[in-house]
Amino acid sequence: MEQKKIIKWLGSLAAAASLIAAPLAQAEEEIVIGGSIPMTGVFAFAGIGIHAGITDYVKMVNDAGGIKGRKIKYVPEDTGYKVDASVAAFKKITSQNKVNLYYGDSTAFAKTINPELERMGSIMMAGASFATEINDPKKYPNQFLVGPDYTEMMGILMRHIAKEKPGAKVALVYSDTEFGRDPIDEGEALAKKLGLNVTGKIMTPPGSVDVSTEIVKLRRAAPDYTIFHGYVLAPIPEFISQARKMGMTSQFMGTFWSMDNSMVMKMGEAAEGFMGVMPFRYYYESDAKAPMLDKIRKMRPEYQSNAYMQGFLTAMLFTEAAKRTLDAGKPLDGKNLKASLNTIKNFDTGGVVGVPITIRGNSIPVGRIYRFDAKQQKMLPASDWIHLD
Amino acid sequence: MRIGTAKQSYAHDESLFDTRTQWVWLGLLGVSLLLFPFVVDDYWLYLACLVAINIASATGLNILTGYTGLVSLGQAAFMGLGAYTVAILEQRFGTPAVLNLVAGGAVAMLVGVVVGIPSLRVKGLYLAISTIAASFILHFVFANWSSLTGGTGGMTVPPANFFGIPLDTSFRLYWLIVPVALTMLVCAANLFRTRIGRAFIAIRDRDISAEVLGIPLLRYKLTSFALSSFYAGVAGGLWAYFFRVVTPESFPLMMSIFFLAAVIVGGMGTILGGILGAIFMTMVPEVLKLIVGWLPLGSEGAVILSPVRTIVFGLLIVGFLIFEPLGLQELWRRVRRFFHLWPFRAQG
Repeated sequence: MEQKKIIKWLGSLAAAASLIAAPLAQAEEEIVIGGSIPMTGVFAFAGIGIHAGITDYVKMVNDAGGIKGRKIKYVPEDTGYKVDASVAAFKKITSQNKVNLYYGDSTAFAKTINPELERMGSIMMAGASFATEINDPKKYPNQFLVGPDYTEMMGILMRHIAKEKPGAKVALVYSDTEFGRDPIDEGEALAKKLGLNVTGKIMTPPGSVDVSTEIVKLRRAAPDYTIFHGYVLAPIPEFISQARKMGMTSQFMGTFWSMDNSMVMKMGEAAEGFMGVMPFRYYYESDAKAPMLDKIRKMRPEYQSNAYMQGFLTAMLFTEAAKRTLDAGKPLDGKNLKASLNTIKNFDTGGVVGVPITIRGNSIPVGRIYRFDAKQQKMLPASDWIHLD
Repeated sequence: MRIGTAKQSYAHDESLFDTRTQWVWLGLLGVSLLLFPFVVDDYWLYLACLVAINIASATGLNILTGYTGLVSLGQAAFMGLGAYTVAILEQRFGTPAVLNLVAGGAVAMLVGVVVGIPSLRVKGLYLAISTIAASFILHFVFANWSSLTGGTGGMTVPPANFFGIPLDTSFRLYWLIVPVALTMLVCAANLFRTRIGRAFIAIRDRDISAEVLGIPLLRYKLTSFALSSFYAGVAGGLWAYFFRVVTPESFPLMMSIFFLAAVIVGGMGTILGGILGAIFMTMVPEVLKLIVGWLPLGSEGAVILSPVRTIVFGLLIVGFLIFEPLGLQELWRRVRRFFHLWPFRAQG
């Protein structure tokens, strides 16, 4: 009798344990995306969009049943765009979760965390950085860029210029930061290769607003095209306004972070005709079939920034890499995830990028030139999609 | 209740910790620090290392600003000097970590002495501006001496090696960073029981009187700059080993302001002030994040509350400055006094 009681007790104990263990086991099955996201600080304008983009795509995948039945868990942490806080967030998230994929908020973080990623070997990372340095699969084997690197962006712009006006004079205006200097030397070399004439290289101090001396240099260079890099907004409007007042007819261009529609609109009158390179389609574009953009517009009826698109596409590529890894029956670690990512060929992003994408190394070298139309208050396509091989 | 400590010898009078209770607490702290890495996860170990580095640097600034009365906003740049020295030595020569750290401190010290020269003519805000100018010059050197510093892209630092063991995790680095920071703290605490330290305090209280009393201002002001920069250099070296990447943007002016705020919030002119200030400035944003994380708001809540968290942090700093100008160390001293006198209460 006593023995039966004990067996009964053990039975109910086992049942209770299985009830507790069931959600734990389910939790273990989750695919975790961690994120050092700058929701405050100087980069918050992008961080909030990135966060929304990742959140939305993760929700879409989970609502559709997850990846091979496994749900995705997104664990973000605010960093204030500070490297020490980003690393703290990484340590916190990876200590509390079995992280497979991670979104980093800056080039500095990508470089800082790289040895740790290699040591851990369990995580693949992408992020807000488009630094040329990261586009090196040997040095950064577990990372990739969601878009072209800055040198490739410069390449896309140069190719467009060379096609539009062969032998054109080009000036490069950039900030004296790692971000600003990134594509300048290689960009200049490429310009020469394409038969363009770089007549001015103007470096401005970080955070500078008064650019009166630099404008004089720019005028002397008399460029047909002026490419700004290393800025989000200031001092681009100041440059353009003063240059136009001086009667300059140069075409002004920018790279990814100065190309968001809301950011260009902040330039005021200077925005008219502003051009630049963008690897993703704008929220409002409806010139081609784009089911994913339709879904985004349905979920969020108000305008979403390019940072949102970048976050959204990052989550899409993360989940695609995870899906391909699981399909191959391999464990979800950094090496396998990256190898799966590199199998992506002619991948349809549902219109987030206007053409199918292929990821051979650490970047997606494709983009399109857009021009701001003041009447419509929109960035409109000014070229076809340009692939770099 | 503790009613007094009878000091019956000069050695006892000079000792840093003069009661058995203090030694017991110190022993407990030591044991806790030894056990800490074995009981916490990587996140807390990371924060412990970061706090230790910040304590080392804040203590250096406290020597200069808190004890000698010379305001500096160049602490981050001096840390940068130490970090670059360590990075160069480790990357190119692979010399032992301790040697690299001392070299980092020495290079920062030499430059610190040069930067300190204007302190003989100017003080207060004017000196602060001259140290900012120095930090801009150093930033320019970091960014443009590409053959040595790697330019704006910076340098990657190989992990420190300790008898063949690479110190490449927070757990392993803890055993380098925390002992070095503790040694620096003990040295700083002892400094102010020597002629040099007392000369610093005399200069802070009234430099003209100090000179009349026979304290050579040139020598002691520059010594203070040298020591402070040495501390910053070593802290920068530890930072380089900890983060493993050094770029000109790693040591912005904001970082110097961070350390100045740590010294002020903690309490200027006390070793404990530097420690508490560095802990406060490093940990409060993280603790606020934890609190926000506990609220059942989901990730959207985090987006809404993130700016609030920043405002709360700012308000806490302002609150301390208004309600406790003597800093956190004064709060600590009052709490200690309460328990010393318990069950009685202190008057006034």
